[in-house]
Amino acid sequence: MTDKKSSPNPLQTNRRDFLKAAGLASTALALPAFVPASVLGRGAAVPPSERIIVGGIGLGNQGGSDFGSFLGRQQVQYVAVCDVRKNVRDGKKGQVDQKYNSKDCVAYNDFRELLAREDINAVHVATPDHWHTLVVTEACRRGKDVFCQKPETLTLREGPIMIEHARRYDRIVSGGSQRVLEDYRGQLSQAWGGKYGKALAINVITNNLSHTCNLPAEAVPEGFDWEMWLGPAPWAPFNSKRCDGNFSTVENSWRSYWDYSGGEITDWGAHHFGGATLVVDVRDLQPQEVIYHPAEGGHKPHLEFVYPNGIRITHCKPGKQNMEVDSDEKNPIAAKAIPAYKGQGSIIGDFLYSVRSHEKPFRDIEQAVNTMALCHLGTIAYRLQRSLKWDAARQTFPGDAEANRLTDRARRQPWQV
Amino acid sequence: MLDLDPAFEALKTFDYGMDRHVLDSIDGAAVTTRNDPAARKDLESRLVAVLPSTAPHDAKDFVCRVLRIVGTADAVPALEALLADADISHMARYALERIPDPKAGQALERQLRAVSGPLKIGIIGSLGTRGEGVSSLRPLLLDPDEAVARAAAIALGHIGSADASKALSATKPTPALAAIFANASLECGEKLLKAGHAKEAKAAYQALLRGTPSPIVRAAAERGLKASEPA
Repeated sequence: MTDKKSSPNPLQTNRRDFLKAAGLASTALALPAFVPASVLGRGAAVPPSERIIVGGIGLGNQGGSDFGSFLGRQQVQYVAVCDVRKNVRDGKKGQVDQKYNSKDCVAYNDFRELLAREDINAVHVATPDHWHTLVVTEACRRGKDVFCQKPETLTLREGPIMIEHARRYDRIVSGGSQRVLEDYRGQLSQAWGGKYGKALAINVITNNLSHTCNLPAEAVPEGFDWEMWLGPAPWAPFNSKRCDGNFSTVENSWRSYWDYSGGEITDWGAHHFGGATLVVDVRDLQPQEVIYHPAEGGHKPHLEFVYPNGIRITHCKPGKQNMEVDSDEKNPIAAKAIPAYKGQGSIIGDFLYSVRSHEKPFRDIEQAVNTMALCHLGTIAYRLQRSLKWDAARQTFPGDAEANRLTDRARRQPWQV
Repeated sequence: MLDLDPAFEALKTFDYGMDRHVLDSIDGAAVTTRNDPAARKDLESRLVAVLPSTAPHDAKDFVCRVLRIVGTADAVPALEALLADADISHMARYALERIPDPKAGQALERQLRAVSGPLKIGIIGSLGTRGEGVSSLRPLLLDPDEAVARAAAIALGHIGSADASKALSATKPTPALAAIFANASLECGEKLLKAGHAKEAKAAYQALLRGTPSPIVRAAAERGLKASEPA
């Protein structure tokens, strides 16, 4: 495998070690009479020496799904799993070992130990949101490429920090929403196909924000590192519903709770806002203003995000459906080619293609962060119940000390981004 | 005008497992008192009064969350008094870190000298986020506690000033801290360049390259140096 251009951590797999693990080699590399085609790189298989060495961090509901996707790919050699729950990481290790018929997969409790391994090229991250920035930035410093699940950030301040690390170390960092490209094809064709004129606005619908959690204390289960699960979040007693990884954003799931997630506005907002920014083609921009419309006539409050180029993304606008596009039919535009994944197989295939080619992925972290900015700006507008001006270049609310307080939150010692 | 008395009464014994909605009126008041200075001041005073009381941890946790939004210099002394308490220090910083008044940063710097270990690391982190305290953080780069030195480097990187950059460049870290110090220097270089201080940015990158940086740091420093050269 040739070295990656401009990367100091080229893809390398020691083929001798691989063959040894597969029970096919002695120190003299004597091969049995039958050698599987996959080892020799025949058919559709990728030779072990050319596989991307991957580890996974955060292997619950979504992380477990991503784990399966990565493990199932021919161009991946999966070598390490990390989760603060022993039963989860041991279970995943077992699956890896079974696939490769070895015992080589290492299970970690602490993501820093996994990231310190020099053999690992790339990691996928699906911890709860409050951990994303810490893990991704450490991965970048360690020379790893990263696939990070959405919502990529918990606060506004985290976005630039993630981008800076990706660029500083010239890493591939992909955000995680497959729905951005895959779920809104109709609207994409409408807006990019030139048939219906210039897109002026698009509406997004998500429901609740997250809220504080006051669940009572329960005993910490054996093998669950509660301190590490909390990490930078405020201390709270263990409760199984506080840290449950089910997909509820209302209650009884970490996605419901402020310390770990933004609620549905980030959890589904990452998808819908991401799709919206693609449909109206503002992926490389952040809004300059958020207009708060108070509750009226039986309708809940809603928002309007105003972009520098005049495009608007609305949130929960009365009378509008999710992803409903307003176009200027009298102002036709030339059709343009809709962006596509590279590589094979959805957003993960695109990420792996980018790891090999060192081209930016479809969901480059900068565009993912621009989507998350909508989620966080919206959250702040709803919490403060008023409009906001946003300076994207300075990442600040100009002259608005009250809103600026909410751009970040203090992390529990000893954690710092 | 909201009647906050029931909520503040509930707050005296508010603990995990209780209905969080009993405090909703206080949450609401954090927003609705925005344009009513007298009501805002009263709200803040009542919140601050909870902090030295015997109210449970969860009650003080809640108070600190609201003070993050409404806290002023008036809240700083009560919050500062909690910084050395391992149980609630983080939540005191949860408020202090976001209070824009300089007194909040001064309180953090004072307590930096009074605490050690994880509490010190937490305060260092908050100073870095606030962009304050270079003179207090500089000597900590050589702290015998590597975790403290690490935290100080990260904080100085976030501050990103010329003084912060010089402090980092002038300190030889232990091998275990080399990568984090380098990251901080790189961050300083980027911030200095963005602020139009190309000469200081260049100095940061050159200092890195004079050492024995890892390949990934070397590549980053070379990119930074190139970016800091005149076009």
